[in-house]
Amino acid sequence: MSKEPTRRDVLGHAARGAGLVTLGGAAAYLAAKRGRADAWQIDWSKCVNSRLGATGVPACDKCATTCVLPLSAVRAVNEYAKCGRCYICPAYFDVTSPVDKDGLPSKKLCPRDAITRRPIGEIDPHDPANNYYEYLIDEARCNGCGKCVMACKEPAGLGSIRLEVRHDLCLDCNRCPIAVACPDDAYIRVPTGTAPFAREHA
Amino acid sequence: MPYRQIQTIGGRGSSPDRFTEALRGIDVDRGGCLYAVGDSELKVFGPDGVLQRRWITEKPGWSVCVTSGTDPVIYVGQEGQVQQFDVGGRCRSTLKDDARLGLVTSVDVFGEFLLFGDVAHRCIHRYDRSGRFVNDIGRDSKAKGFLIPNGHLDFRVDDRGIIHVPNPGRHRIERYTPDGRLQGHIGRFSGTDPAGFSGCCNPTNLALWGQGNLVVTEKAPPRVKVFDTGGNLRSAFGTEAFDPNGKNMDVAVSARGAIYVVDTVRLQVCVFAAVDAPG
Repeated sequence: MSKEPTRRDVLGHAARGAGLVTLGGAAAYLAAKRGRADAWQIDWSKCVNSRLGATGVPACDKCATTCVLPLSAVRAVNEYAKCGRCYICPAYFDVTSPVDKDGLPSKKLCPRDAITRRPIGEIDPHDPANNYYEYLIDEARCNGCGKCVMACKEPAGLGSIRLEVRHDLCLDCNRCPIAVACPDDAYIRVPTGTAPFAREHA
Repeated sequence: MPYRQIQTIGGRGSSPDRFTEALRGIDVDRGGCLYAVGDSELKVFGPDGVLQRRWITEKPGWSVCVTSGTDPVIYVGQEGQVQQFDVGGRCRSTLKDDARLGLVTSVDVFGEFLLFGDVAHRCIHRYDRSGRFVNDIGRDSKAKGFLIPNGHLDFRVDDRGIIHVPNPGRHRIERYTPDGRLQGHIGRFSGTDPAGFSGCCNPTNLALWGQGNLVVTEKAPPRVKVFDTGGNLRSAFGTEAFDPNGKNMDVAVSARGAIYVVDTVRLQVCVFAAVDAPG
């Protein structure tokens, strides 16, 4: 003899069903996004924050301020193969701030404190300058404001940091407000699967 | 001490007295002739800035050093080797050392020894004139070499044989004995005080002048600084003369005290003289 389902059972099944529908919908949405022929991407050779030759100008923060998401889908990425692991990294420190008692700049550059600095290997206690450092970007904090990208750009730095669109976060708006606001037409649609843009002189 | 620009030599272009792709290293001989390497040529300019002669180097030159004396020798640092020429441009010999020589971005000579700054191995190699390796300088540190994220290692040897090396990642100029012992250093980081060195890695290039004066170049912003024997800043100038994207700007000083600096973007050499200097 079958037992009559209780109200709790019905609500539980409904909730599970709704959850599955939601998950399925999200999966289908992501799959659809992945299957799209094109996606938003930043052309680093156009973006003022990474474009070689654009020096002495303030960083552009349109990616951070115009994305429809509360925290922009654009984030800074450090390409470790190019990073110099510098003792004084101009993307980590505000190099114009007064030096502290250890001879380091007293302020950090990132307004959201999204970059951490870790010594590589054991610290030389007699000479702090005699060390390499690893710089990690916390993407959960980064909002893509571009300050670190501009500060790391050659010739001041090595140009290892760049802005990238996180496609797992991007809503893929047809009329993306970042693309509309971008003063350099650097926010463009490209075929999915396109290799990253080559860095070139502007 | 104020300086002013008095001359511009070279520039970007395809004529013989210009450079098409790169201008990397310079030196000035006792007579005030400028030796400049770039592309795959060495060009010699007279004191008036007019091209006198030029010749092909086996590989693109990254550094050049002209010895003084009755029979001057011109050394051109390249990738994996150093070519030795006479003043007429005839190649006397080529020192190759595949196991040890990377990219030679600076060359100097002291007594019977040749010294090569190797950016790939982040140290200075010392050889005798027969080409026999003697020792390395700058490797005895935790970092196992100079901190040169800017990709260029420069140095000069003074009259006493002391080697002066910009260590840009540490924001200072270090002094070594020929056997590689660190004697001391000057300089510190500062993003605001001109007496300090700013950015990730400065100063990048160095020349010696007179009795222990140091002339260095910086990038971002590009500029020239002159320090006295005590490490005190005497002058900082030149930013407006260079392309703001210039870096690793080689520098040389003539016997008369004129300062020659490479603009690595415009591919030209800017010449500066102290305002109170004669002619």
